[in-house]
Amino acid sequence: MAKRLASLMVTGLMAGIGGSATAMTINISLDNDPGKLDPTRSSMIAERMVYQSIFDKLLDLDETGKIIPMLAQRWTVSDDKKTYTLFLQKGVKFQDGTPFNAKAVEFNLRRGQENNSLRKNDLKYVKQITVVDDATIKLELSEPFAPFLSILTDRAGMMSSPDAVKKFGEDYVNNPVGTGPFIYKGRLKGATLTLDKNPNYWQAGLPKADQVVYKIMSDVNVAFNNLRSGQVDITNRFPYKELSNTNAGAKYTVINKPSLGFRGFYFNTSKPPFDKKEVREAIDILIDRAAIAKVVYNGAVSAGHSPFSKSQFANGPADVPPKVDLAKAKALLKAAGKETGFSFRMTLPTTPEELQVGQMVQGMLRPAGISVTLEKADLATQIESGKAGTYEALMVGWSGRPDPDQNIYDFAVTNGSLNYSKYGTKEVDALLQQARIESEDAKRKVFYDKAMQILVVDVPYVYLNHDNVLFGISKAVKGFKFVPDGVIRTVTLSK
Amino acid sequence: MPKILKRISLVLPTLLLVSIVIFSLLAILPGDPVTAILGQEATPEAALALRAQLGLDNPIYVQYGHWLWAVLHGDLGRSFVDHSPVVDSLMQRLPVTIELALGSFLVAVLIAVPAGIMAAARPRGIANYVSTFIALFGMSVPHFWLGMMFIVLFAVKLGWLPASGYVPFSEDWHGNLLAMLMPVVATGLRESAILMRMVRSSLLEVLNEDYIRTAFSKGLKDWQVVIGHALRNAMIPVVTASGLMVSGLLGGLVITESIFGIPGMGKMIVDAIFQRDYVTVQAGVMAAALMVIIVNLAVDLLYSMIDPRIAK
Repeated sequence: MAKRLASLMVTGLMAGIGGSATAMTINISLDNDPGKLDPTRSSMIAERMVYQSIFDKLLDLDETGKIIPMLAQRWTVSDDKKTYTLFLQKGVKFQDGTPFNAKAVEFNLRRGQENNSLRKNDLKYVKQITVVDDATIKLELSEPFAPFLSILTDRAGMMSSPDAVKKFGEDYVNNPVGTGPFIYKGRLKGATLTLDKNPNYWQAGLPKADQVVYKIMSDVNVAFNNLRSGQVDITNRFPYKELSNTNAGAKYTVINKPSLGFRGFYFNTSKPPFDKKEVREAIDILIDRAAIAKVVYNGAVSAGHSPFSKSQFANGPADVPPKVDLAKAKALLKAAGKETGFSFRMTLPTTPEELQVGQMVQGMLRPAGISVTLEKADLATQIESGKAGTYEALMVGWSGRPDPDQNIYDFAVTNGSLNYSKYGTKEVDALLQQARIESEDAKRKVFYDKAMQILVVDVPYVYLNHDNVLFGISKAVKGFKFVPDGVIRTVTLSK
Repeated sequence: MPKILKRISLVLPTLLLVSIVIFSLLAILPGDPVTAILGQEATPEAALALRAQLGLDNPIYVQYGHWLWAVLHGDLGRSFVDHSPVVDSLMQRLPVTIELALGSFLVAVLIAVPAGIMAAARPRGIANYVSTFIALFGMSVPHFWLGMMFIVLFAVKLGWLPASGYVPFSEDWHGNLLAMLMPVVATGLRESAILMRMVRSSLLEVLNEDYIRTAFSKGLKDWQVVIGHALRNAMIPVVTASGLMVSGLLGGLVITESIFGIPGMGKMIVDAIFQRDYVTVQAGVMAAALMVIIVNLAVDLLYSMIDPRIAK
């Protein structure tokens, strides 16, 4: 009797926690607490997850990665590839009632070009913005730039309410207003961020859920336990070691799809021993990528050798990892005068997986007499040493963007903003520039293939693998669509 | 009382010293806030603009001066990362940490005191062996592991309790209690082991004193001697240990907070350090220091209540 009473009490209390039965809440765990809720200030993927629910974009991606209409219902591109005309949805309103129109688009793009905006780089070629009429806007670029439409599918294309931006000023980062399916309600920092349904959403029948709650769980195992206990419907990460344990009786499924990103490490080519390309190539051909993918990631990454994953049109022959070849590596080292070996310091992130990758690399280089010291650092320290060029080898990956240009240009072009290797050749610069100007995918691929032919020999960066996106999803969730940018769309979700 | 007054007068200088130490430590930390906030995509213009906006282009002593001046005027500043007032974060986090610390302490005391008394009163009895075993277990088992096991059992397998997360007491009191139950017990169990050993040994020592023998010889019952005569004197070292324990709990329960997704101070400070959110780190550490000082003061007051000779 006492036992029954206790169980009744617990059940009663649990019902209290769950809230009313009629409201449909989708709970999503995020591994990072989103910082500023303003796309022009954003620098992390957890923020993109939340923005996706609050802000619509001018364009979006579909499940195959193709660019599709969103707030711009169609568009035209001039023959010289420099003028883009966007035709906008009519009758759309921001969540605060401000009308969405061409003037609002102009306001947002200009805001994205301001000095303190992190979208400035994305929008740097936009030279002139002309409001043709309420529903038409013309954007003139200073030079042809093929990734431009793709850029409008992410934060640079997200539309904020001009009225709200003016009203809140610096505090807009805590009061975001878009035209999106969910309205920002509030947050308990470090714990939850709550969004309510936008009852006036412009797309008929959407969103399906009444509320979306993002729960911050930095530990992937904690998120996993919450998924198993039903506290969370979707986790934005999934423990690699649990991948083989997903059985038929489990209450969740795992989305395990290739992302657009890559992982690997930079060489500091401005300093010995990595100023010699033979040394870099020797290391590149000593690494067994397949072993790393299997041992560290339980197969949930694909071994790679380029910045372009299989889901991108630029993926080509360079992405096939080289065969491990100790004899050739030794010959290369001899040519570089390093036949007796050498040692170097590799700076890497603090996650257990990346440390394991570092340890495997350590073991793989040992037969050639190369000894590696591993040094852990958080992202801020890594970026700083990358920019300052004070590192020797530096493991920093890239979460990836839809257009190939966004995954290679700034990494490989001379003085590129992400070119921590301090690498630069005229040939690669020219090829990457041509790939930007050309608009046909097949023709662009030719330039990328040629650039990669040079880069796999010069090896400023050792590409190791392409991460998969791993989401854990409760079987109760309906309407989930995986989009290759790895950002969870909540608009169609229900349960 | 003068001793207490003297202690109170030291609070401000202590806090000032703590603030200088923290400011200096943050200044020598590699990786600057602008890089941490803007990430890989920062343009030089954005970095410059943010640096100026945050006042980081000033020398460190000027930054400290500005900070101190603002704090003296009741302004703790705004977070570098999300621009929200730091005082809001503190007000959200402080009650959580206090609840977690006091709850864990309560669990620890509720287990440790009776078990310690039983173990001391019957040094060769079964209670002693059981409590010694529990104490050893509690001290040896990491509480993050215990926490994980609790989650697997009570949340995943049985579905009785939420696996993690936090609901403020004011919003939903039973949701709050349910969410706090596992973390409080997981931490409390570990702390109880330490406290129990303390109660036991301290009580054993007192029980060997002459006045206890006198009490027994007067024909008093065991429990009358233990509770009425021995316990009060045995409590002085226990109160010291409890004070240290509460200070420790208030200062950092980072792992418990991470496992159970509880937005407390410990996690706030650690996250802020990784994000180089100096303003938040500074405020968090100051608040933690203030709490430790208050707890220590409270312990001193308690001493003088238990043994009035100490206050003199």
